[in-house]
Amino acid sequence: MNRGPFMLLALCGAAILTAVWPAGPARGIERNFAGSAQLDYLYVPTDPTARRFSFDGFTTELSLKLAVDFSQHASANVKVCYGCHGVEAGMAYFDFRVMDELNFRVGRFIPSFGDFPLRHDPANHRTSDKPLAYDMGRMLRLREWGMSVLPAPYVDNGVEINGTHWFGDDVQLDFALYAVAGLKGSVDGADVDFLQSRSGALYYIDNNSQPAVGGRLALTANFGSISSLTLGLSGMHGTYDANRDLLYTIAGADATFRVDRFNLRAEALIRRTEMSLGANPGERFRYGPGDDGAYDPFFLKDAFYVETDFPLLRWLEVVGRFDGMHRLGNVVSSSPLRKESLILRSTLGANVVFERSFRLKLSGELWDFSDFEDAVAVHLGLVGAF
Amino acid sequence: MTRAAMLVIALGLALGACSSAHHVTRPDGIDVSSYPDEIQDAYDVFAFRCSRCHSLARPLNAQVTDPEHWDDYVARMRRQPGSGINRHNARQVLKFLYYYTQQRTGAGGGT
Repeated sequence: MNRGPFMLLALCGAAILTAVWPAGPARGIERNFAGSAQLDYLYVPTDPTARRFSFDGFTTELSLKLAVDFSQHASANVKVCYGCHGVEAGMAYFDFRVMDELNFRVGRFIPSFGDFPLRHDPANHRTSDKPLAYDMGRMLRLREWGMSVLPAPYVDNGVEINGTHWFGDDVQLDFALYAVAGLKGSVDGADVDFLQSRSGALYYIDNNSQPAVGGRLALTANFGSISSLTLGLSGMHGTYDANRDLLYTIAGADATFRVDRFNLRAEALIRRTEMSLGANPGERFRYGPGDDGAYDPFFLKDAFYVETDFPLLRWLEVVGRFDGMHRLGNVVSSSPLRKESLILRSTLGANVVFERSFRLKLSGELWDFSDFEDAVAVHLGLVGAF
Repeated sequence: MTRAAMLVIALGLALGACSSAHHVTRPDGIDVSSYPDEIQDAYDVFAFRCSRCHSLARPLNAQVTDPEHWDDYVARMRRQPGSGINRHNARQVLKFLYYYTQQRTGAGGGT
C-alpha cells in the first residue's frame, strides 16, 4: 500500500493553511525555555557482573526544550535530548491549529500512542526507569529480549492530524492520525532494530519509502474539578525492512484515573512482528515448523503495567508499580529465550522532593524471569527540572 | 511474586486514599495558605490539571510575565490530549497564574 499521497496531502494542507492564515493583531512571538536533567545509578546486587545483561552504573538523560507560541493557532516546539545514544532531536515540529478539533503537526515528533509517552520527560516520571512496555535500554536482559514493545521516547519524522472535542464541560474526546517513517530493521531481520532508528550513520530517514500509519482515540471524563478518568486506544502499522516485506502492528489500551493527588495508571501493549524466514529456516530458528509443515513467521510481544503514585508527606511521594512482558513465537537459534517467555517485575519506590525543582528517586525492583535467574535491581536517581 | 505485587498495589491504593483524604500538599507545588480563598480554589484546579503530564515545577518556573503569553500557553495546554482542561478550568488556571505571576514579579495582572 502506498501511503505517500496521504503524507503529501497533509503537508499541502498545512502549507495552504499557513499561506491563507488570517493575520491577527500584531503581537510579540512568545517563547518559553524548559528542560530537565536526570542522573541515575542502577545497581544489581544479585549479580556482580550485571554489565553482561544491563547498562548498570551511571546514566544521564538531559532534555532542553524551546516552545514558541506565534499565536493561539500556530506554535513550534524544538527539543534536544542527550542520553545513551548521544545528542538527539527529540522534537522539531510546527503545530497549525485551525480549531480545537483540527490541528496539523508537521516535523519530527512523538507520534500519539498510549498514555506514557504524554509524560515524555524523565522529570515527569516517579521512577528512574520506564515500564517494561516502553523501556529503552534500562531493563535487565535488554539484548536477550530485544528491548520492549515500543521503546520510548519513540520519535519519528512525519505528519499528524489531531484534535480534541468537548461534549459539554465534562467529557473530552481526543483523536490523532499520523503517517511517519516508521520503525526500522534489516531485510533479513527477526525483529525491529531500535538502534537503526537512532543511528546517524544510517541517516534519519525512512528506510523503505513507505510511511507507517497509526492513530489514537481517547476519552477523558471529569468528575468534578479534581478527579478524572481517561481511557485510550492506540494502533500503529507498517513495514520495518527496506524491501517493505516485514510487517509490524502495535496496539495499545490505557486507563488513567486521578483523584486529587492520587494517580493510578494502567496500560497494555502488544506488537505482532514478522520475521524473515531466510533460505533455511530449519537452521535459522530453534523450533521447527507447525503441524501444517510451515514456519510461522510472526511473533507476539505484549506488556502491561499498573502504577500508582501519591504524596505521603510534604516532601515525600511513593510509587508502586507491577509490570510484565511476554513473548510468544519462534526464536532464532542463538536466542536464550524459548517459544514462550515471560518477565514479571514488582517495583516500590519513593521520591524525596527537597526543593520544588529537584527530586531524589529511589526504587527497588524484583525481577522474575522465566528463562534466567531472578534478580533484584536498585535505582537511585537525581532529577532537576527548570 | 504475583501475591507480593498485588500486596504492593493494594497498599498503594490504601495509602493513596489516606493521603488524598488528608490533603497532603503537593511536594512540587507551593504553599498558597496566604493567598485569597478564590485563588486557593483556582490553585487546586491548576495543581490537579497541570500535573497530569508534567511536574508543577514547569509552569511555576516558566519565564512568563505577560498575561497574553499565559493565555497562549494555557490555550495550548488545554488542547493537549487528555488534559481534561475545559474552558472553565482554563479560566481558573489563568486566574491563579495571573495572581502567582503578579506576586512573583509584580507583573502579569491579567484581565
